Amino acid sequence: MLFQILLNGIAAGSLYALVAVGYNILYRPTNVFNFAQGDFVMLGAMIGASVATLYGLPWYAAAAASALAVGILGGIEQKIAVGPILRRSTSSHAWIISTLAVSLILANLVGLFWGPDPIRLQPPWPLSVRTFQALGVRMSSYQIALIAGTVAAVFLIERFYRSRRGRAVLAVAEDRDAALLRGIDPERLSFWSFVLGGMFAGLTGVLAAPMLYASVGLAPLVLIKGFEAAAIGGIGNNRGALLAGYILGIAEAFSAVVLSPGYQQATTFGLMLLILLVRPQGLLGQRETRYV
Amino acid sequence: MSDPASTAMKPGRILRIELCVGVAIVAALALFPIVIGSQYQLFIATQVGVYLMVAIGLNFLTGYGGQASIGHGALMAIGAYTAAILMVDHQWPFWPAAGAGMVLTAIGGALMALPAFRVSTWYFALITLGFAHVVSGMLIEWGGLTHSFDGIVSIPMPAAFGETLGPRGLFWLVAGLNVVAFVLVRNLVRSRVGRGLIAVRDNPAAAMASGVSLVGVKMLAFVFSAVLAGLAGALFAVQKTVITPDDFTAEFSIFFLVVVVLGGAGSLWGPVLGTIVFFVVPEFLEALQGWRLLVYGIVLLALMRFAPSGLVGAITEMARSVPALRRPSSAAPEIAPPGTEELPASAPASLRIEGLGKRFGGVAALDGVSIAIPAGAVHAIVGPNGSGKTTLLNLVSGYYKADAGSAMLDDLELLGRSPVAISRRGIGRTFQTPKMLPDLTVIENVMLGGYAAERASVIEVALRLPRSRREAARQRRQAAHYLRFVGLQDQLFIKAGELPHGQQRLAEIARALVGNPRLLLLDEPAAGLSMDELDRLGALIKSIVAQGTTVAIVEHHLDLVGAICESVTVLDRGKVLASGRPEQVFSDPAVLSAYMGSHASVVGSASP
Repeated sequence: MLFQILLNGIAAGSLYALVAVGYNILYRPTNVFNFAQGDFVMLGAMIGASVATLYGLPWYAAAAASALAVGILGGIEQKIAVGPILRRSTSSHAWIISTLAVSLILANLVGLFWGPDPIRLQPPWPLSVRTFQALGVRMSSYQIALIAGTVAAVFLIERFYRSRRGRAVLAVAEDRDAALLRGIDPERLSFWSFVLGGMFAGLTGVLAAPMLYASVGLAPLVLIKGFEAAAIGGIGNNRGALLAGYILGIAEAFSAVVLSPGYQQATTFGLMLLILLVRPQGLLGQRETRYV
Repeated sequence: MSDPASTAMKPGRILRIELCVGVAIVAALALFPIVIGSQYQLFIATQVGVYLMVAIGLNFLTGYGGQASIGHGALMAIGAYTAAILMVDHQWPFWPAAGAGMVLTAIGGALMALPAFRVSTWYFALITLGFAHVVSGMLIEWGGLTHSFDGIVSIPMPAAFGETLGPRGLFWLVAGLNVVAFVLVRNLVRSRVGRGLIAVRDNPAAAMASGVSLVGVKMLAFVFSAVLAGLAGALFAVQKTVITPDDFTAEFSIFFLVVVVLGGAGSLWGPVLGTIVFFVVPEFLEALQGWRLLVYGIVLLALMRFAPSGLVGAITEMARSVPALRRPSSAAPEIAPPGTEELPASAPASLRIEGLGKRFGGVAALDGVSIAIPAGAVHAIVGPNGSGKTTLLNLVSGYYKADAGSAMLDDLELLGRSPVAISRRGIGRTFQTPKMLPDLTVIENVMLGGYAAERASVIEVALRLPRSRREAARQRRQAAHYLRFVGLQDQLFIKAGELPHGQQRLAEIARALVGNPRLLLLDEPAAGLSMDELDRLGALIKSIVAQGTTVAIVEHHLDLVGAICESVTVLDRGKVLASGRPEQVFSDPAVLSAYMGSHASVVGSASP
């Protein structure tokens, strides 16, 4: 029983961690938290599921189509809703409302296109969501692959940030003007971060679709869970996001058993408030106290 | 985010115009239910009033406080359900039930606010969103209390003066409470509380330097805004007589944000205009029922890009472009000079820094720096870029945490205290790039500096009780005095953002002086000044010292340093290279070779 909860929690938590990593990819160079990211993930799931199920294309083609489409959307969002507003003032938080607006627009357009019915996406061969019994726990090969894949993704992204190019990306977040002097164009970097963040969100959606179904209702859930993971782990910190994803997934699985499934949201939300009160910078985050 | 109330005009004239407008509005509201024919229209008008109340509170928090909430629908739900459950299931009268709802929403608001004190602004938006989801989940989960999907039905009307209110009475009640809420917000935003709130929104560093407690101001905004939402929730319940979980969807919360941004976030009339415009176009909304959220999204995005100050901002902009409406500059009011008892002579304090150390990552920004500045002196800290001068100021004023050493203001240890506490202990400071609040006038910016000196409580301020008015008037006289002192007497009512850079520096010095500092820290005040302005700055610093303030100045301009300072410390790569009288230090060969180089000749001419 205990191991079952842990496994289910870690599998769900891996998805939350992936969403949080998507936020981080976008946040680190731009200091913008994309409120439409939940819709990006949802859209990735919808596109992937539609391409594979309705047109009968292989999983890999569906994943590529999702990444491409959502990546382009990310770029468009940056050009319309983020770049112009940051140009007016870099310190303004007007992007909160403008990216929220993009989220509203996306969620409703998707609703018009696809309707409310969820679509199921089969995982790529040889993986399956069919469960089997091993070591006294019910699991599926897809769950195992998802858990392993998430760890690998976090590891690869962290390695990138330690490379020369990766450090250049982080330099922009520290000081826009200094980066400009070194020949890095923050505007271009911001654009490509949104494209990459969008692609990652699209892929996350494709990965989530076999477990959660693809539906419009996915977006708010993903937005909040992903934020909770990013905040608990420390915004910008991908290893923190992984750890936090696990914590959230396990807490959720426990509360569903101990209390009732209705308390899942309240449990993770309360947990996040508690952790932020003790460690506002998150478990693995660095403290930001620069005002001057 | 503009506030027309803060532009130049004789205060007396503003008050008279306001009084006329106020009387007209109250009269119109009083007559409305009598004139209006249909019950349906009265019902809608009452509903608009309920929504307006939430919008007024949200504008205080989001417009003035800069904290976007996507959870006000949930706060309203708490107010509505608390009042409804107590009235229907426990037969409470309306007022105590509504009061209980307001208490619970206040707690909810404070709970959401707690993490917001310590994390970035945008966290708050997501936390409110998460809170909204939790609340809507609980409305169903706690079915024993909330009757789940059935909702709460036949909620009775409130009573006033022993009579149960009818639809007209309810309209008057809602309208009256809205007028009260509007006036309270108006009084608050025009007071030091409003200045503090805007400072926390636009420039937290400037707020802290002026002794504004970020926690206190934000908490006030959260709780006040939540209480208004709670009251509106209770009124919502009695007005609709039936409430179900479906009344409080995420859409509801976003609706309020749209209304505030549409009208003009951060302007008093913004929510009023936004709410009315939203309901004046009902046919439009009828046709687009299914597209509502899509429309919200497009409206929000278009506003953020093309009209961030909303309708009020657009109207103000238009009024400005009409020459006849432009106010003559002579309308600026005369402000009497403060009485002598209102300008207390401060006792200058000494500063003794010992073994101060600070590392950023692997780099030692400061390493074992010791400086002693006697009370009443002018001391300069010079050195090449990156030598740690500004870091030193930031450590002494509490913006950075020191790794080692001590800094004593007379016999008070400064290290380990917050910037706000240090400011309140009598240290004023300016910043390398002036940190003014661009949307406020110059005099309002300077009045911010006296924030901690006012004693009137928030309630006194909100109700404009005599003490708060007296203090505000005194604050205004002092601010005008110090602006005269720095030579900006003609710029009092200009928006600070429109002031040239050099004058912003002077205004920032005036802001620090209003706080009556015993030690003033100036960070490169001469940068970008003309020769003429430089001379005046020198004279100004001398007169600041003469009125009883110790001055520590970080400066590149060695002429100025030679002319006004008794002593100088030269920093190089985080260490003290030399220290002493200017002429002595500037002729030190080590200093010359390590730092000055080509500047040496300039110094030679300045020092006797």
